[in-house]
Parts: sequence; C-alpha cells; structure tokens
Amino acid sequence: MKTKIIVGGIVVAIGIILGAVNFLESNVEYMDFTGAEQSQKRVQVKGEWVQEKGASFDADNVKFIFFMKDDANRVCKVVLDGAKPNNFELATSVVAKGKFVNGEFHATEVLTKCPSKYEGTSESVKKTL
Amino acid sequence: MVIGTIAALIVKVAFCAALAAAFFYYRVYREETSRLLVFAKASYHLATLSLLSTAAVFLYLILTHQFQYTYVWSYSSRDLPLPLLISTFYAGQEGSFMLWWAYTSVIGMFLMRYASRKEYEPEVMSVYSLILAFLLLMLVVKNPFALIWETYPDDLIQAGPIPGGLTNFVVLDAARGVWARFPAEGRGLNPLLRNYWMVIHPQVLFSGFSAMAVPYALAVAGLLKRDYKSWIRVATPWSVFGAMVLGTGIILGGYWAYETLGWGGFWGWDPVENSSLIPWLLCVASIHTALTQRKSGAFVKTNFILSMLAFIAVLYSTFLTRSGVLGDTSVHSFVDPGMWIYWLLLSCIAVFAVIGFGLLFARMREMPKIPVEHSFVSREFALFLGAFALAFVALFVVIGTSSPIITSILKGQASAVEVSYYIKTNLPLGIAITFLSGLGQLLWWRHSRTGSLMRKLLLPLVLSIGATVAVFLFMGSEELLILLFTFCSAFSLFSNLQVGYGIFMGNPKFVGGSLAHVGVAILCLGFITSERYDDKATVALERGKPVEALGYKLTYVGHAQIDNERYAFNVEIRRGDVRRIVSPTMHFSSQTNSTLRHPDLINFINRDFYVSPVSIESSSEGEQKSYTLEQGGKAEIAQLTVRFLGFDFSPEARAAMLEGKDFVISANLEAVDGRKRTPLTLKMTNGTNGPQFIPEKFTAAGGEMFEFALARIMPGENGQTTAKVEFTVRLPLDEKTQKRDEILVVEASVKPMINLVWMGTVTLIVGFVLTIVRRAEEARLQSDRWTRE
Repeated sequence: MKTKIIVGGIVVAIGIILGAVNFLESNVEYMDFTGAEQSQKRVQVKGEWVQEKGASFDADNVKFIFFMKDDANRVCKVVLDGAKPNNFELATSVVAKGKFVNGEFHATEVLTKCPSKYEGTSESVKKTL
Repeated sequence: MVIGTIAALIVKVAFCAALAAAFFYYRVYREETSRLLVFAKASYHLATLSLLSTAAVFLYLILTHQFQYTYVWSYSSRDLPLPLLISTFYAGQEGSFMLWWAYTSVIGMFLMRYASRKEYEPEVMSVYSLILAFLLLMLVVKNPFALIWETYPDDLIQAGPIPGGLTNFVVLDAARGVWARFPAEGRGLNPLLRNYWMVIHPQVLFSGFSAMAVPYALAVAGLLKRDYKSWIRVATPWSVFGAMVLGTGIILGGYWAYETLGWGGFWGWDPVENSSLIPWLLCVASIHTALTQRKSGAFVKTNFILSMLAFIAVLYSTFLTRSGVLGDTSVHSFVDPGMWIYWLLLSCIAVFAVIGFGLLFARMREMPKIPVEHSFVSREFALFLGAFALAFVALFVVIGTSSPIITSILKGQASAVEVSYYIKTNLPLGIAITFLSGLGQLLWWRHSRTGSLMRKLLLPLVLSIGATVAVFLFMGSEELLILLFTFCSAFSLFSNLQVGYGIFMGNPKFVGGSLAHVGVAILCLGFITSERYDDKATVALERGKPVEALGYKLTYVGHAQIDNERYAFNVEIRRGDVRRIVSPTMHFSSQTNSTLRHPDLINFINRDFYVSPVSIESSSEGEQKSYTLEQGGKAEIAQLTVRFLGFDFSPEARAAMLEGKDFVISANLEAVDGRKRTPLTLKMTNGTNGPQFIPEKFTAAGGEMFEFALARIMPGENGQTTAKVEFTVRLPLDEKTQKRDEILVVEASVKPMINLVWMGTVTLIVGFVLTIVRRAEEARLQSDRWTRE
C-alpha cells in the first residue's frame, strides 16, 4: 500500500510540474516592439496596421508584409509566414505572434480583432425595417 | 404579440413547476410515504409540458417569420430553407438554452420511469427537478420572447401620426399616439452556420449535455439513500449513454470544422471544442472506475466524485463559453450575455458543487471501507491508472481553456495558451491511456500470474512492434513520444481485438467494451497519421500555371461565381493518371463584414488531399488607397503631391439638381510631379442610375500610372465650414508583381489515413451501444432481484 502511495505521489508531482511548465511556456507574453527586440523571445505584440504604408503579399515566398504601430507608437515592419489574415482591413487592432529578427518582426501568426461580432445593433435594425 | 407574452409566462410556470417537483419529491423522500408522490409526478409533468409547449410556440414564431421578436429577427430570415430555418431555433443564446433544457426535461421523463422501477424515484427526481429549475431560471431571466421595440426603443418607438401605407407597425399606446415599427425581414443566420451540420451537430451535443445531469442526480440520490453500492449499477447505463451521445456530438463538430469550416484539422483545441471534451473525459473515467467498484467494491468515493464532476464540468464549460469571460482569445465570438447570466451560471456551479460534495463529505465517514487487495498486475490497478490519466487530461484541458482567466488574474492581461500546450501535456497521458486500455484487457481481476499474462501479451506485442516499425519505415521518423504513442495505440488495438474475438466467440453481447477500445485505438492511430504525418504547404497559384507541391501538380484554372457574394476557385489536381478538380470557395459576407472560406478535399482510401483557400491576389491592378482632403489641403501620394483646390458646382448644375434632373459635380485637384503641375478633374454624374464616379488617369514622369476617382463630396455649408473631398487612388503596379495574372493562395495538405478517424468513431459508437444494452439488462436483472426479495 505504501509503495503505491509513493509511486502515485511521484506520478502526480511529475504531472503537475509538466503541466505548470508547459502552461507558462505556451502562454506567450505580451510585449511592445522594443521589449520584443531586447528579449529575442517569442512574444505577442498588439498594435494597429499603419494603413498609409500599405501592405503587400510576396507570392514567391508566401509572405505577407505590413507595417504595424505598437501601443508605444513604434512602427515596425512585420513579415508574416503566410497570406493576408482574415478581415485584415477591417480589424481595429491586430496581434502578431513571433520574434524579432534583424530589425523586422517575423510573425508566425497574426490575429485580427474585429469590432463586428455577430450581434444585432440599432443600425442593423434600421436596415431591415 | 399576445402569444409571446403568454409563452414567456409559461416559462415561469415551468420554472415554478420544476421547483415544486423538486420540493414534493424531497418531501416524499423525507416522509418515506408516497402521499405526495402524485403531486411530485404531476409537477414534473407540468414542467416538461410547459417547457415543450413554450418551445413549440418559439418554433412557430420562427416558422411564421415573426420579426417583431428580437430573437427571431436576430437569427432568421425569409430566405432560409426549412431545415436551416428550424435550426435558427438554437442559433442564439436563449434558443440554445431552451433546446438544451427541453432535452433535459424529456430525458427526465424517461429517468422518472426508469428510477421508479429501481426504487430511486423520489431521491433522483428531486435532484433532477432542482437542476431543471435552476436551468429554467436562465430563461426566466433572459426572456427569449423579448420584443424588438423593447430591445431597440430609441430606433423603433415613435409618437405622432402613423404614415399611410405602413404595414409593419404596432400601436403601443393609442391614447398618447405612441407606436412602434418592426422589421419586415430578419437579419438572417450567421453565414458560417449555414450548412447541414448546423441542423444535426448542436442537437446531438445538447442531448449529450443533458444526459450528463443524470449520473450527477443518481450519485446525489445514492448519497441521500445511503446506498453507496448499487447506485453504480443504476447509473452506468446512463453514463455510457451520455458518453456515447456527447462523444458523437464532439466528433460531428470536429468533422464540421474539418470539412466546411476549413480549420485544417478536425481538432483545434478551441475553447468550444475543449469545453465539450472535459465532461466527456470525466464521464468516461467514471465508467471505468464504476466497473472496478462493481467487481471489487473499491473506489466508492472516486465514483461519486467523478460522476458529479462530469456534470459540474458541463456547467463550468457553459460558463466559460457563454459568459463572455474568454473574450477575444478565441476564434468563436462570444457574445456577452449580461451580468445576470454570468452570475447565474456561476451560482449554478456553486450550488450543485456544494450539494454534491457537501453531501459526500457528510456521508464520508459512514461509507464502507473496502480494503484495496489487488496487486500491481491486476485489472483494477490498470483501470485505476487509466481513469486517473483520463481525469488528468481533463484537468490539463480545463487549465488550458481557463488560461485567459488565469492569466488575467496573474498578469492582468488575458492570453490563451498555444495549441502546443495541449499536445505536450496530453501526449504522455495519451500514451499511458492507450497502453493501459490494451494491458487492462489482458489482465485478470485481483492478480494476474506472470506466465499466463506473457502468453497473452505475446501476439499483440509482436504485432504492434511490427506496426510501429512499418509506420517508421514507410511514413518516416517522428519524435520518440509519437512513435511510442503509435506503438501503444497499436498495442491497444491488437490486444482488444484478441480479447474481443475471444468474448465474441463466447457471448457476443459482452463485446461492447473491447469494441469501444478498438475504436479509440483506431481513432488514435488516425490522429497520429493524419496530424503528425501530414504534409502542408502554402502555395501561390498563378492562373494557368501548374505548380508542383506535395507530389501533386496544382493548377488554378479560374473562378466561378456561385451567387452574389460567393466564388468557387477551381484548382486542378494531378498526380499520375489521376486528375480531379477541387473547388474551395470564398465568400465575402456583407452581413458579418468578413470573408468566409470553405475548403474542398479529395477523399482517397488512404489519404485526403485537402485544399483550403487563403486569399486571392489580383495583381493585375494596383493597390487602392483613399484620402480625405480639406479645400487647400494636400497629400503625398507616392512621388506625387496632390492638392485639393475646390469643387466645381455650377449654378446650372445646382438648378438641375433641384429640379431632379441629371447633373455633374467635379472636384478640382492638382497633381505635382517633380516640377510639373497637372490639373485633375474628378467628376461625379448623377442620373437615373444614381451617382457615378468617373475615374481620371494620370501618368507620372516615370511612366507609372495612377487612377483617381471621387468617393464622397462634403461641401462646406454656407461657407461656414471648409469643403472636404474624399477620393481614392489606385497606385501603380509594383514592378515585381506587374504583368502577373490573378493569384490564388491556398494551403494544401495531405492527410494520410484520415479515414481511420471516421472508422474509429463508428466502431467506438457501436461499442457504446452494445455496452448500454448490456448494462441496462444488468440493471434490470438487479431490480428484478430486489422485487423478488
């Protein structure tokens, strides 16, 4: 009986440590560009697309390139692996996940936050009158 | 309008009746006489009947397009085909709650009859009615029959005379002349949900959620009755039923995501998916520990805890996905239902946790202590470890899904965990579970002798080593843990086949357990091959030019318009002699203001070729930008400086406009290119077809072509404010992308052996059905024995 409790205890402890480490590791930290540049870790940066500088798609390398202004108002070039994210033009803000490489932010994922959730609004009522 | 008010009232009746049923049943249990049983039964019947008739009214309002109800207006419209129109019943928060509670109440009718045969009726039904009452409270608080002018009073309620010819209006207060308009058309179903999966998937999932309340109610009833043993036999058929239905719902959702939503796989570890997985895992764990208790009497407390947790997990999941706490961290949009629902869901969790665990704590001391006698090499121990691992998976998924809550408390900034978290934490557990599900079947209860175990182990071990080597050789190497998972899944498959074959030869009725394990093993093998040995590539396909990817030749052959907003993009896929066309679609929905993408796939026997559209780049045109300038203002556009001089709105045009005739307005701009100044006149004509903007081209000194067009005119009013103009400019083509045809960007992937996933699912469900039949028979025999005694 005693050995079982010891074995069980060790298994539980390993499980908890494993879970905690993974949880912390996979919770990518929020930072601004300056912080991201210094830490060289995989982080997420919140900001908005600088529309005036445009956005382009490099079809040969399948990269989407745009400029993003973070919350500290620093503008940086973002290179995303892949094509233009969903609802990119409509997004009020974007979150880029990735790391800094040679002065550019290399993102593996860009999430867009849109104001329009599927909810009724008074404008949409007026439209259907 | 009257009918909705009455229906809203009937919801309250249903709530009161459920509460009364809980009370009367409780009295029957306390008094130990059946004096009040008639009232209890009648109250429960009344609650069910009221709820079902409310649901019928709700459906009637949807079918007859009563857009004066906010819900009907929000989710349905006249253009929907009948099955989808019916499915708008549960497209929103209130309706899906109503569907769920309706299933709960109907399942309760069966439970009542079942429990009365097992002499469990008063206890279990008092708990179950209380659950129903609590759930119904949410419909009382969030009325599904809200009228649209109550939701949007500022926009719809008006006072004064009603204009003639208006049909969609209702007089609210005749004396004061207050009336309201209401919409003639609904906003329609979210385009994402407009497919046949919407008709079936939520139905199955919600019945699964409903079924999870039964093991909880039976566990609490067992505690009330001080029956710590035989309640397990009463509850098991229900737990297996719940696991089967919920499991089916989960897989259907996965298939929906894979086949139409284009998530790329059938499982994305999304909060909504996770939240249905958690109760399922706990329920499956409880089925296994219940098995041990039936054999050896051990795990009395564990069984109570797991059965109750499965239901509480349903409530917690509902809280996570419905209360808006996850906010922006998921691809699903979570509408904030308001403070009331938030606190109700929280207090629901608290109440049922306190009732269940409080009672368990109170009865703990008097429970029989069953000394654990089994050895390490026994089926009990394997079952215990397996259930333990399942519960741990559930715990890790709970923590991962709750990450936005945890991080917002710890760090002040909500963030979700990445998918890698779930894989890293659950992979070792998956290995343990599959291994145990194979080993456990080969072990005896209490103790296995090493010799006989070795003999039985031999064949499955040899076969699974063979299978793993085959995977390694033919599909390539992977990390060690994945190979170990492959080995253990194969081991589980072969040992369960071996054991299942033996059982089938003896008594085919008992083969359910083995068959379910075979299903899970096949499912796991399918996960590995299709998710780990898949090949993915993002490819840019220029029209007409073949591109080699993943061993296939892909050619974008052009697009076809399906309807107003929807386009199919045809891609020819060639490999050897096989030539097929896939047509993924993209759809810009003006309703949700977003682009919807639907993948297409070719299903081969041994793999899927999956094509998910990403974007369409029409490089033949340059990028377009828009500018707003005040009179006298200027903008830098590439190498040009553009100045807005003013509008040209002649007295003749003004007169024409007033008379309703065609007229022309132009905005005068000036482009400065180096030293050269060129006037630009952007015209808008207004005729019978409405306003038309006539573009104006400008070629810069370097030959780059710009195209200007008016977008909006904001004249200064009486000279008090400056006039403003909004115009668009199409910029010259980038040299790199110039002269290119339309480019379709797709994500192509090959998913080997994905058919195993669907095959495993079917096997698992058949296994569940056989188990339900067997356990229900067993429970019937037990109650027959009681009646005889």
